[in-house]
Amino acid sequence: MNDSSSTLDSADAPEVASNEPIISIDNLSFSYDLGSTNTLRDISLEIPAGKVTAFIGPSGCGKSTLLRCLNRMNDLVDTAKVTGGSISILGQDINAPDVEAIELRKHVGMVFQKYNPFPKSIYENVAYGLRVQGIKNKSVLDQAVEESLQKSALWDEVKDRLDSSALGLSGGQQQRLCIARAIAVKPQIVLMDEPCSALDPIATARIEELIAELQEDFTIVIVTHNMQQATRVSNRTAFFYLGELIEYDDTSKIFGNPTRKQTEDYVSGRFG
Amino acid sequence: MAKHFQRKGRRFLGVNLQGWIRGFFGGNAALSIVILFLICAFLVKEAAMFFPQHHRGLELYRKTGQEYVGHLIKEVDEYTILVSATNQAYYQELDAGYGAQRGVVDSSGGIMDALEDEGDDLIGELEDALDDFEDEPDDPEIAAAYKKAQENWKAFARETIAGLDRKEVDSFGRLEGHDGQWEALKEAMVDWDPVEGDPTPFVAKAKAEMAAGMSEFDAARIELGSAGNTLKDLKNKLVAEASQIKKEAVEDMSAAARKAAILEGSKKLATEEERIAAVAEAEKIVIRESFPFAEKTAAFGESFEAHESAANELKEKLVAAVAKLPSDFKSQAAAELIVGVKERTPDFIEKLDESVEEASQWKWDAPLGFWGSTMKFFFGRDWVTNSSWHDFYGLLPLITGSLLISLIALAVAIPFSIGAAIYVNRLASRYEQTFIKPAIEMIQAIPSVVLGFFGIMVLGEGLRELSQIGALSWVPGFPMQERLNIINAGLLLALMAVPTIFTLCEDALNNVPRSYSEASLALGASKLQTVTKVVVPTAISGILAAVLLGLGRIIGETMVVLLVAGNKIAIPDFGEGLGVIAQPAHTMTGIIAQEMGEVSAGTLHFRALFLVGLVLFTISLMINVAAQRIIKRLGHA
Ligand SMILES: Nc1ncnc2c1ncn2[C@@H]1O[C@H](COP(=O)(O)OP(=O)(O)OP(=O)(O)O)[C@@H](O)[C@H]1O
Ligand SMILES: [Mg+2]
Repeated sequence: MNDSSSTLDSADAPEVASNEPIISIDNLSFSYDLGSTNTLRDISLEIPAGKVTAFIGPSGCGKSTLLRCLNRMNDLVDTAKVTGGSISILGQDINAPDVEAIELRKHVGMVFQKYNPFPKSIYENVAYGLRVQGIKNKSVLDQAVEESLQKSALWDEVKDRLDSSALGLSGGQQQRLCIARAIAVKPQIVLMDEPCSALDPIATARIEELIAELQEDFTIVIVTHNMQQATRVSNRTAFFYLGELIEYDDTSKIFGNPTRKQTEDYVSGRFG
Repeated sequence: MAKHFQRKGRRFLGVNLQGWIRGFFGGNAALSIVILFLICAFLVKEAAMFFPQHHRGLELYRKTGQEYVGHLIKEVDEYTILVSATNQAYYQELDAGYGAQRGVVDSSGGIMDALEDEGDDLIGELEDALDDFEDEPDDPEIAAAYKKAQENWKAFARETIAGLDRKEVDSFGRLEGHDGQWEALKEAMVDWDPVEGDPTPFVAKAKAEMAAGMSEFDAARIELGSAGNTLKDLKNKLVAEASQIKKEAVEDMSAAARKAAILEGSKKLATEEERIAAVAEAEKIVIRESFPFAEKTAAFGESFEAHESAANELKEKLVAAVAKLPSDFKSQAAAELIVGVKERTPDFIEKLDESVEEASQWKWDAPLGFWGSTMKFFFGRDWVTNSSWHDFYGLLPLITGSLLISLIALAVAIPFSIGAAIYVNRLASRYEQTFIKPAIEMIQAIPSVVLGFFGIMVLGEGLRELSQIGALSWVPGFPMQERLNIINAGLLLALMAVPTIFTLCEDALNNVPRSYSEASLALGASKLQTVTKVVVPTAISGILAAVLLGLGRIIGETMVVLLVAGNKIAIPDFGEGLGVIAQPAHTMTGIIAQEMGEVSAGTLHFRALFLVGLVLFTISLMINVAAQRIIKRLGHA
């Protein structure tokens, strides 16, 4: 890749003016079967930097699909294809031919629905993203691990057993470890796909607190089924239905005074 | 009142259909367990009976003095290896330096044979004419007749020689590329005198050149070849004596049984006279309390000194002869052989000293521990059967052959099958997956005898041709002498192991949760990094189990090794380093398959084969158990 065509490959974080959207999705259509049917249709949406944006909508409406378009995880599906429109992140069209998904993912991290730490030590889990970038310097790694664990509010709980297996942690701790692992490579954006759905209420509350704190350093996009959660953690909310974006606005507006009937029905729990 | 809760369905002998089906499958399971048990019991019983029988055999070997003489046999064998290497070098060098001359001499022999065969009558005539001529040299008529006979011979010789097949005469092709010599030889042979039979001057000259150029080497090699004559003579004498003692001892031990048999048989004889004769014969058999080993083998105890002096003589002469061996060679092969002889000589002398020392420790009545005879099986270096001298049952050459071949097979199969499994499971596209996987699994369908055939005809031949290429001579084991050898068998077994390891590995990789690779990819790792840093480490115990099961598969494989390994019962010479793979070997499975058909039940040989089978079974069992353990641990992780 050459520098003029892309900002995503530069090691230093490209800066974005806070009023400008960090992600802008423009008329995006997406298909899982090479275009026969579009799972996402004509979605346009601008996600502001430094904020938490929530995606809500009934099951199967395409929230996860859209999220996975943002770090091109859908590349793993052989027949997946963007059939129209574009996504630009930090001003770069991420589906341009000269963009490498691997480079993109270093800037757009992801936390999955089911916590999935590697069967390695806690330390190695957090250091993994840096190691694959070729960083071997022990002190750099040590520092990054500590910092990430601090930020994900896990440091105090695990600092004495960094070398023990990550699989020995509780579910909530494992999910926070996954967050630490994602932020260790210092992405600008962190995507979270229902990060609390496998956790109990107390663990969920801790993650929500964490999201509020992380908002200072990262732009967060979160998919959730939990309306309260969306109101608690997000600044902006997008409501999807059957692959289309129905309404996108400030969270308070969506939950307090939605413009569309469908949105109102959904947030008030009349269907979903 | 209506009945409730009754059994339904027909019943036979008080059992309903479900009961019968249950019984059928349960019975099958029970039967297979019983059979397995019987097989194990039979194997263990036959194998266990080997040890006492083997022990008695070894005791006899010691008491008859064969053990003592065995040292001499080994010494002479080792010495003979040096001699034949030297001779081989001599002929290599002769060919390299005087190939044309040797061709001339050899071919002249061929031509002479042809002339004598076909010109029998003419030679007779020539001889008669010569006789007459010698009687009356002044008679012009006789002189003319003699001249005529000579001319006739020459015409015949010229014609016959012209019609000769060059390939037949020069069967080793030594004159290839020396057309001038060939023509000159043909011309010269026309003048050959069949009556005198002396070589023609042309041939004599070639002979002289050869002799002159090689005289030093020739003298040295002959000296080397005769250095051990005294020891050899001593050995031959003692071998004959020990064999005689053994024969007597065996007869003696069976005396009682033979006597009983003859007496028993005599009862069935028809006539009274025959019966009396048989009984008389039986009476002649002396049953001794014990065989007088001490007396019989006294001569061996007295030959210690002769042995030592013969060995010393051999050492001295050998060292002198080796020092006279040339050090400049035209032939690379000869140079290597002689270097080898020179290097091995000190080792040989050391071993000889040890052997003489050990031999002198021999006592006919030294007790032989049961443990010692047992170890002679497990660590014995010889497997010799049907020998008129003594049968040895040593496992070491077989187990080394089996292990070496299996290790090579594993070393080749592991990277291929694991690589293929990783590729198919993680990197290949859907389309590639649809044919790579079935193709690899299809290898399993090839009958092993077909693979063996392929190994003999294609792989063996191909490898040997390849090994002849000069530019590849740095490869260990190249150029190969043998077509059937360890590497050939190893490669074929690798082919057989690949499907097993591949399939199990692929399963292990499949068991790695997709979420691990997703997480890794989402962190910006490439597919390859994901495989090496996450997927393989997670699946490592499954991969290890796959490798072990692959090993279990190949260590028990029989047909391929029997056909392709070369079946030489000897511990491969590890002195050649990696080149050891070009040597032939025999295996535990191969020996059972090869010899089991020829032995009669209950003999020591029969039981030895069972014991080898038991060892094989134990090894396979251990490998399988280890694999199971690993798989279990994986399940808990
Ligand atoms: N890998 C895939 N291949 C083909 N179709 C898929 C794939 N993943 C999802 N889909 C389909 O795309 C549609 C949207 O799925 P998606 O997972 O994005 O929904 P979602 O909004 O995240 O639902 P949920 O709330 O249940 O997670 C569904 O109809 C689903 O069946
Ligand atoms: Mg989803």
